[in-house]
Amino acid sequence: MSTGRPNRKSRTAAFWRRACTALAAAVFAVTAQLPVTSAQAGPAKLHVVATTSMIADAARQVGGEEVRVRELMGPGIDPHAYRQTRTDIAAMTRADLVLWHGLYLEAQLEEFMHKLAQRRSVVAVAESLPKDRLLRHDDYANQYDPHVWMDPQMWTGVVAAVRDALIAARPNARATFEANAARHIAEVEALAAYAADTLRSVPEQTRYLVTAHDAFNYFGRAYGFEVIGIQGISTESEAGLNRIAELVSLLVEKNVGAVFVESSVSDRNVRALIEGAAARGHKVSIGGELFSDAMGADGTYEGSYVGMLDHNVTTITHALGGTAPARGMNSRLSAGS
Amino acid sequence: MFETLLDAFLFRAGYNAALVTVGTTLLGIAAGSTGTFIFLRKRALISDAVAHATLPGVGIAFMVLVALGGDGRNLPALLAGSALSAWLGLLAVQWISRRTRLAEDAAIGAVLSVFFGGGIVLLTVIQTMTTGRRAGLEEFLLGATAGMLFHDAVFIAAAGLLVLTLVIALRRAMTLVAFDPGFATSVGISVARTDLAMMALTMAVTVVGLKLVGLILIVAMLIIPPVAARFWSDSTNSVVWIAGLIGGTSGFLGAALSASAPDLPTGPIIVLVCFALFAVSITFAPQRGLFAAMLRYRAFHRHVHRRQGLLALARGEEILDPVTVSVLRKAGLVRRDGVATEAGRAQAARILRDERRWDIARQIHRDEAVINRQDILRPIEDVLTRDEIAEIDRRIGPPEAVPS
Amino acid sequence: MTIAENTALELVAANGRPVRHTDLADAPLAVRELTVSYGQKPAVFSLDATFAPGRLAAIVGPNGAGKSTFLKAALGMVPKLSGQVIVFGQPLAAARHRIAYVPQRASVDWDFPTPVIDVVLMGMYRQLGLLRRVSAKQRDAALACLARVGMEDFSDRQIGQLSGGQQQRVFLARALAQDADLYLLDEPFAGVDAATERAIIDVLKAIRDEGRTVVCVHHDLTTVAQYFDDVLLLNVHKIAEGPVGDVFTAENLQKTYGGRLAAVHIDQLRLDPQ
Repeated sequence: MSTGRPNRKSRTAAFWRRACTALAAAVFAVTAQLPVTSAQAGPAKLHVVATTSMIADAARQVGGEEVRVRELMGPGIDPHAYRQTRTDIAAMTRADLVLWHGLYLEAQLEEFMHKLAQRRSVVAVAESLPKDRLLRHDDYANQYDPHVWMDPQMWTGVVAAVRDALIAARPNARATFEANAARHIAEVEALAAYAADTLRSVPEQTRYLVTAHDAFNYFGRAYGFEVIGIQGISTESEAGLNRIAELVSLLVEKNVGAVFVESSVSDRNVRALIEGAAARGHKVSIGGELFSDAMGADGTYEGSYVGMLDHNVTTITHALGGTAPARGMNSRLSAGS
Repeated sequence: MFETLLDAFLFRAGYNAALVTVGTTLLGIAAGSTGTFIFLRKRALISDAVAHATLPGVGIAFMVLVALGGDGRNLPALLAGSALSAWLGLLAVQWISRRTRLAEDAAIGAVLSVFFGGGIVLLTVIQTMTTGRRAGLEEFLLGATAGMLFHDAVFIAAAGLLVLTLVIALRRAMTLVAFDPGFATSVGISVARTDLAMMALTMAVTVVGLKLVGLILIVAMLIIPPVAARFWSDSTNSVVWIAGLIGGTSGFLGAALSASAPDLPTGPIIVLVCFALFAVSITFAPQRGLFAAMLRYRAFHRHVHRRQGLLALARGEEILDPVTVSVLRKAGLVRRDGVATEAGRAQAARILRDERRWDIARQIHRDEAVINRQDILRPIEDVLTRDEIAEIDRRIGPPEAVPS
Repeated sequence: MTIAENTALELVAANGRPVRHTDLADAPLAVRELTVSYGQKPAVFSLDATFAPGRLAAIVGPNGAGKSTFLKAALGMVPKLSGQVIVFGQPLAAARHRIAYVPQRASVDWDFPTPVIDVVLMGMYRQLGLLRRVSAKQRDAALACLARVGMEDFSDRQIGQLSGGQQQRVFLARALAQDADLYLLDEPFAGVDAATERAIIDVLKAIRDEGRTVVCVHHDLTTVAQYFDDVLLLNVHKIAEGPVGDVFTAENLQKTYGGRLAAVHIDQLRLDPQ
């Protein structure tokens, strides 16, 4: 209930209220005019957002000119720990199709992805794989090891899932997608053959693959290697002190000469392992850097799925005493692999 | 499992475990002794704010290193960044509590949350940077001992010894400032500079402990040992070294335990061991522990009955309470039939005089909480000085004997 | 009555010998134009005061008169807005080692883990420095100080277990351990029992008889004439200073306490008529 003449304080307050209302109205008017998705002149490309760079690579291979793919996690980024940013959310809500891995690889994004699926096209490409071909998680009863891309044969299933998702999003480009997918799957199968041949040359007694975390179980199953990760399947689990001692004993017992660091994980644990083995008089060296949860730098050969696996296979073979071409399957690996 | 535990205690559980155990033991000793002065100076919460304020410094140091072309894993640089932002956090707390009307705890809460939140934002930004290997910055939150390397251990040992040396050198000044800052100023000690030294030592301990127990838990290593040590001693110097001992033991046992079984995180286990030592202290410490208090209560109970019984004897009254009679009999002060013995009469006379003195003392010291709390439990000679007792005796006259 | 620098004035010491007070070099404590304020409120304003050596002096005034503030400013514990503090003819920093300070009882944490003997040993900080160990001789000297205040049986007791008067005695023992030439005490008799009060005043008189100087902020008007040689009447400004017989008059007390001290109370103080 106001009393008489408005004083200075209430007049100032009134001024600010009106100014803010005007400003809000102006902002609303302007933003209402903006298009929800940025339109392009000419035939519109399908906007696809992929979480990992491996999926993005598959989407580009299958989609070709029809799609514009944007990935959330670039080289060197760990998907187990990744939390979405506001920019990511904006990109995903504006996309025509969102592709993610699933199987709890992007553990921090699970809830968000499920919610997003209610409003937009969201496909978990690895979850379409038949469950009997998946490896069970060591620690969680009804979960699976998500690192399926380490086995090219398994990855062909994911490429097929990507193809199906793209077809569902743009049915009139079905022929293009099917052709591209078939071509890419053939490349991946050639990679699988190369891997099998090359890794066969590694002697039985050196088939121990020791890495920073348990990303290589599918690789181990496919090519007959015993796979030991210092951390568990997710990099979010801390390696206990006891684990290092356990692994040092293993390295000494089995006379393992080389261990591997990963591009997206800190190498401290690996170096501690090497020091521990040295204290017991056993020399272990770093066999090389592997691409585990992320691919190589953009624009390089290793920045593609085929290149990533090619690099891994060739590096492992060289380090553990097998024979492989110096520059990999297609002679395209950078020197020093 | 016990064999592996024993191996761990004897430094036989492997090189890596031994390295970590040495590091955490030294950290525990340094943290416990430094923490005693923070606890005495009532600055425990500030040390927590300072620890949380290290996070943005770590993030910024990482980003600077990467911008300069490195890979961001340079530990001394990261720790230097953490120390710098911790220092800024401390200055912020002091500035806010001095210049604004906010109380110190509000200032601490504000600084702690803002700096820590800022640090988390930086970590989220860093995860999107394509710099190749992660520096493992999240490890600074709760520590990660599995990856401890030899040069890490050397750094911790050197820093720990430096901190201990400074604590020993400055203990007298810090004790004086904590007890009576006014007096300290009057004998020429600079309170501001001593407090600065104390916070610098806290920061050193925090930075050293970042990789072992993490910034969230380091405050526990600073504060729990002195709190536990307080139960064992009433002398500051003793509290300092007992706290160091408790801290070092926690570090040693915690690391050994975490090395003996799979999947045990070292930092949290150390803190749990520390808390267990605190629980033991609060329960079993002689004189100040709960158990001792319970025994004292039982003794008090007996004492009350004894006193009441003897007073009744002195005044020639009948003793009605059977418990009282039994207590007196067990002490040999009355015979089976309830008649007082020789010793009983002597004691009764003493107690009567004591009671009279206490009556006067209570009148004189009417407002003294100390006197009212203790009057039944102790004879007056233990509580008042000779001249005070002489004053009372003047008023009540000479002692009287008890008739048989 | 103001004591100007060059005026020769005859004062009589407690033991009857005349003391010639000529210049500041002899005065254990002198302040000139001292102003201290908390925020924007002056606690002490433009104070000129000089304390004579070998005397027991009281500082008297109502609550909030700036008495404690004056002591703290003299010790450099609170910053002064203006003025000078001269201790034995020198600035404070040079002569600090000749002063011992006994604070008001309330400001200490009684749960602090320290036994009585350690509190007294704190007084020997000057000799001990940061690192030197406490020798048997120093420990004996500390026990002797405790004996002077009647607390020798309590040397291992934790301070929180003492009564108020006993705690005050321990702080006095600490000051004795400093072996100072000037003792500054802030309300040493507040809240203590009669026996303790007697013990303390006996010690203070003994210190004065040794030729040292004692200055107390004192709260009890009824004992001023009995205990002290000199008095400074203070209420933010100086009202009067000098020997008790000359200065402690009904008129001066009225000026100091304003309307707060009724005439009947002044009568009860049984002052000598002026």
